[in-house]
Amino acid sequence: MNGKIEIIIRPLVFILLATILCGIIFEIAGFSAILMFNSILDGAFLGSRSLEKSLRWALPLFITAVGVGISFRCGFFNIGAQGQFYMGSVCAVYVTEYMSGANAVIVIPLGMIAGMTGGALWSLWPGYLKLRYGVDEVITTLMSNFIAGLILVYVTSGPLKDQSGSGQQASTKILPSEFRISDASGVSLTIILITISVGITGWLIINRTSFGTLSSLAGRNPTMLKYQGGKIWQLGLVSFIISGMLAGLSGSIELFGPSGRVVSGFLPTHGFTAILVALVASYAVIGTAFSALFFGGLFSAALFLPIFTGLPTSAIDLFNAIIALLITARITLGKKFLRNRWSHSHD
Amino acid sequence: MLYNRNSDFKIVTEEHKDIPAISCRDVSVSFGAVSALSDISIDLPLGVIHAVVGQNGAGKTTFARVIAGIVKPDSGSLLINGKKIVLGSVASSRSTGIELVHQSFALPPSFTVAEALEYGSGGGIGLFKKRDLNNRWRRHLEALEMDIDPRHLIQDLPIELQQAVEIARALFSNANILILDEPTAVLSPSGIAGLFKRLRRLRDTGVTIILVLHKIREIWEIADTITVLRKGKLIDGPMELGWTKPESLAPMIMGAKSLKENISRKSDENSENKVLDQKAISTLLKSKKHALEIEGVSTETTDHEVSLENMSIKVYQDEIVGIAGVEGNGQVTLLRVLAGLSDISKGKIKICGQEVTHFNLSKRRLLGLRIIPFDRNMEGLSLTSELWENWVASELAVTPLIRWINPMKIKERCKISMSEWDVAYNSPEQKASDLSGGNCQKLILSRELNDEAGMVVAAQPTRGLDIGATNFVWTTLERARSRGCGVLLISSDLDELFKISDRILVMLSGSIIRELNPPYDLEKAGRAMVGESG
Repeated sequence: MNGKIEIIIRPLVFILLATILCGIIFEIAGFSAILMFNSILDGAFLGSRSLEKSLRWALPLFITAVGVGISFRCGFFNIGAQGQFYMGSVCAVYVTEYMSGANAVIVIPLGMIAGMTGGALWSLWPGYLKLRYGVDEVITTLMSNFIAGLILVYVTSGPLKDQSGSGQQASTKILPSEFRISDASGVSLTIILITISVGITGWLIINRTSFGTLSSLAGRNPTMLKYQGGKIWQLGLVSFIISGMLAGLSGSIELFGPSGRVVSGFLPTHGFTAILVALVASYAVIGTAFSALFFGGLFSAALFLPIFTGLPTSAIDLFNAIIALLITARITLGKKFLRNRWSHSHD
Repeated sequence: MLYNRNSDFKIVTEEHKDIPAISCRDVSVSFGAVSALSDISIDLPLGVIHAVVGQNGAGKTTFARVIAGIVKPDSGSLLINGKKIVLGSVASSRSTGIELVHQSFALPPSFTVAEALEYGSGGGIGLFKKRDLNNRWRRHLEALEMDIDPRHLIQDLPIELQQAVEIARALFSNANILILDEPTAVLSPSGIAGLFKRLRRLRDTGVTIILVLHKIREIWEIADTITVLRKGKLIDGPMELGWTKPESLAPMIMGAKSLKENISRKSDENSENKVLDQKAISTLLKSKKHALEIEGVSTETTDHEVSLENMSIKVYQDEIVGIAGVEGNGQVTLLRVLAGLSDISKGKIKICGQEVTHFNLSKRRLLGLRIIPFDRNMEGLSLTSELWENWVASELAVTPLIRWINPMKIKERCKISMSEWDVAYNSPEQKASDLSGGNCQKLILSRELNDEAGMVVAAQPTRGLDIGATNFVWTTLERARSRGCGVLLISSDLDELFKISDRILVMLSGSIIRELNPPYDLEKAGRAMVGESG
């Protein structure tokens, strides 16, 4: 199918374009673009153990992006994954706090369920406001990120503050080792299995349930679906809940996995990057896997960048920003293209 | 009248014998693998009304778009008033005085009428006073005898007024060649008469007019010359009207072979219908039930919709009831009320005997209600979705949200259904936007008119369709009736209503004001539609 090839080719073109543009900017700024890209490639995929380091970021990114993709497909621009991610880790850390003596086999699943519930609830209120009162979800979900960020600061520097910690950064107590599902590397069989099952479930929801088909129709033309008797608010609510759940799960994995604690204001920005990951993959689950691996690689390379090239880590942000720019341009171009097609089909 | 026009025509052509207004040479256009126009060479004389006719997909709209510079031909050349122009450039076409009125309107929906006109006529940059703007365009609209408030938003206007605004925009610039694509499709009989009057007046001032048209009666009323296209090829033209007869036009448009097929199929269907009719009569004798009962329904007045006032309609299980009326008299509200998308303040609605006043659409659909909405591209289909998704939407929408489905099986069922309904398609995974208007409507029919349908509300089901597809839709509705399904046909096309309705209710300002029974009288119906008694 033409459309399917397009879905694969398009992101590759974006990445190529972004690379060229970035290279030009680096050269102008006086850095060697070739050296820069070499070290990105090395840091992300080619160097020894670099694939593992990329996976550390790619796995939670994938989980979050599958959720983001589900709500985007349905036509709801839920950009609150970051806040839902925070709330997921906060809820999970409360479970570990109150069940600190219990068996890990109980605590870890319960913590993850709490994380998913927290994420889902945090996405539910903007979803409700949108579907009941028509409040723009872009604004509410964006603001919900900051509120969640402040709740995170409160929890880590107030009720659950690790009193023994002396540093300037407030954090919760580090989890006992039996509660961890991976070491600091963030890659373990458990996390990989969770990620794979999220991928399979997500794929089934999108491709093998009535929700998947209906939400795609709702995202493309809600008016048509209304005339078919479709309930847009039900679809919307479910998609908000699913995306919140997955972001929350990702947050709890961050706690049980690589981080081992919740640090005030120091959690990865998976929620924001996941938006890019989902957009590049055109919301398809398999595409999301590759796209998450790519952005995970960039993330991990960013940590090496200062060492090899003298560029700040935020140079990678430039790369991300250019890709974001190209994608948004595509969305508007796409609409224009669509209008032309409409007129043709009238002949 | 006809005589006068023809003599005008001769004078004009003698004066400008050597310079045609438009001269196409070997113009070809293809979209992907589909050839939309192949080697069109034609000279259209100056100061004359030209009708371009053909079936859906014949290439009429593409031809108009090539001249307007919207579509760039793959090959060929174009001379306007004897001068060669740059192909595929709207600016270059416009600078030679060509203006196009779109079939689907290209006005920005969030603009007011005045803003859209200002923007569309090349203004819009710089400072202006809103009141001046409104007054200026109000005068222009009044001069064209269009009763439109320039302060209204485009998106709030009914579709026929949007078209009127589009025409007003095109007429404002000093166009010497005006192209109108299906201008009559959305107009009432009096609207069409008004449009034709304006077009003749413009023709007499020397403007060349190109009309893309479907209806033979209208062609005969307005056109000076006829050009027939079929499957992207020029069949004949421009023929002067005196040289041809309506009877000879139909074979040219449809192709002699397909016409024959159509006739033989039609006679088959008639014999089949007779058998079904007898069945229907026997069921009728047992019990005659209402498929739809609307009792004293009123709606609150809102800005966007004409409100309904104490409306009562009953449709039996075996009849087609037509709703006649000039568009913008509450037909949209009626459809939305029946679909449960607009609230009612008073009254009751029953479908197949069951009260559904407070039911949502999915419950109403489960009782047998089917809807063919006004706008097939926005309300009927999701054009960017695949065919099978469009086809299965109504089935999925009424079932629980999280339910396993097997897309392979659905696609198979969709294929079978689309072949039964004669939809021309390549694959169920095609985008709906690939289909022509007629095929889009057939896809909607195949989805809506399944065996469980008990009551069909069809809104302008043949708008913009060619003769073949129109007949198909009519036969389908008649078949639904003989199966015991009630049909409410909302239309502003009296020909259509007269042809298949068992009775006609005339709607004016949100109420039913008259019931007409066959034999129908065109004049009486026309008067009733504008509220005159008699």
